Amino acid sequence: MSLNYEEMSWSDVRDQFRKWREETGRHSEEVVQLWVAVLEDKVHKTGNERHLILEQVIIAALDTAQFDIATKCTKQLSLEFPGSLRVMKFKAMRYEALEQYDEADDVLDAIIAKDETNAAPRKRKIAILKARGRRVEAIKELNDYLKKFMSDQEAWHELCSMYLAEGEYGKAAFCMEEVLLHNPHSHLIHQRLAEIRYTMGGVENVEAARTYYSQALKLNPHNLRALYGLYLSCNFLANSKTVSSKRKESHKLAQWALEQVSSHTAKQSSIKNNEKLILSLEAALGNMEIKSN
Amino acid sequence: MTELLIDPDIRVWVFLPIVLITFLVGIVRHYVSILISTQKKAEITQIQDSQAMIRARLLRENGKYLSAQSFSMRKNYFNSEETGYFKTQKRAPVAQNSSAMLTDMVKGNFINVLPMVVIGGWINWMFSGFVTTKVPFPLTLRFKPMLQRGVELASLDAAWVSSASWYFLNVFGLRSIYTLVLGENNHADQTQAQADAMTGAAMTMPQDPKAAFKAEWEALEITEYHNALKNIDADMLNIVAASDQSE
Repeated sequence: MSLNYEEMSWSDVRDQFRKWREETGRHSEEVVQLWVAVLEDKVHKTGNERHLILEQVIIAALDTAQFDIATKCTKQLSLEFPGSLRVMKFKAMRYEALEQYDEADDVLDAIIAKDETNAAPRKRKIAILKARGRRVEAIKELNDYLKKFMSDQEAWHELCSMYLAEGEYGKAAFCMEEVLLHNPHSHLIHQRLAEIRYTMGGVENVEAARTYYSQALKLNPHNLRALYGLYLSCNFLANSKTVSSKRKESHKLAQWALEQVSSHTAKQSSIKNNEKLILSLEAALGNMEIKSN
Repeated sequence: MTELLIDPDIRVWVFLPIVLITFLVGIVRHYVSILISTQKKAEITQIQDSQAMIRARLLRENGKYLSAQSFSMRKNYFNSEETGYFKTQKRAPVAQNSSAMLTDMVKGNFINVLPMVVIGGWINWMFSGFVTTKVPFPLTLRFKPMLQRGVELASLDAAWVSSASWYFLNVFGLRSIYTLVLGENNHADQTQAQADAMTGAAMTMPQDPKAAFKAEWEALEITEYHNALKNIDADMLNIVAASDQSE
């Protein structure tokens, strides 16, 4: 998206910022550019929204390593809210961005000491551990955090990716299941859980993967990744040593998934020699068929 | 019956002042309650408990999407006799008359009940016995005690409103004006507080965790595992068959 900075008035920028906040998009470079170009001098006009805008700009400035802007905005906020824990968090984040992790840790510890129910600084501490590459410690901390704040689904999601990075698929699957309990109607989470199960391997897990892939497809029939996953897991099952009726079923499903995938890609692909690629894929499937029989 | 004609001085010195006084008292109440109310500080164990309850509820509602093993593993985590969360976590029951609660109650009384009594009494004394206004539609006799408090005249038409009743109409009717002036969730409106007090909802004391745990434990205990994805293979095969036929 390109924005014409010269033609935007401060209220346009405010609306744009608001939209980004609502969509929880960072757009850090645009935010900083717009802030410097338009909004910085006019921020007092935005009333109480000013504080939210300042926070947004601080995070964007830290993202883009423009520490002078971040410091300036943090100062403005701390003048208005002296001793606010929320502003203290931004100071910690500035240390973090400067890779002064020990100082950041000290500030965060001070916040937690003042208000132990505050979830944000605890999560930041875990982020610091992760940034330092101490993933095992981060996992331990996050586990402790989740014992207290057990319905924080983003934390569960994060723990899942950390376990995946460590190769602990069983534990990752557990975390993903926890996220699934929060959004049972998200096809992406079903798909992710299926992927973890498929990666774990073994007939039982692949069967579970097939189930979750199927559910993902039921929720969103255009999920190409789930279609491909279904194809892979069905192929695995078709070649495994299960009951022959089940093998046949799997084979049928795999065929269908492959057809769907090829028709979807043929419809939507912008690659020129798509036909050829599909032909070669079909040749590959032909080989599979010989193997399975 | 001849039409009553009300002195314009009653409009200026009774009708409008009552509106103004009730409105201003509401505004003052809003700011005073902001001034003296303290931010409720939650305990970490309270948060932990409520989050555990949410998690258990989600397990009950959406557990059907998990595999049987995953479900019983989680159920065991909460409900197991020896190690279950709901069985082992012992929380001290919330003390009824801890000092914090007491000050809260005193403050609540100070803001809500005291002005109601004082202002109501003062208005009753100051503006008693006036017929202030008339509702523009006929009413039956049953409305007389409601609309004509302080003016016990048997022959007066029920559509006339006395000053004391006008005050009460204002107290109960200014809510939308307050939201207009002060925004949502203001503390100006005392009818809300009274309604809360009657249902006991205003006693925002954290519910007894022991009882809540027991309720959640029971609910989870009787939840049976049904696999929502049991028929998904058959469904998929049906879709496959349907797409085969359509070709």
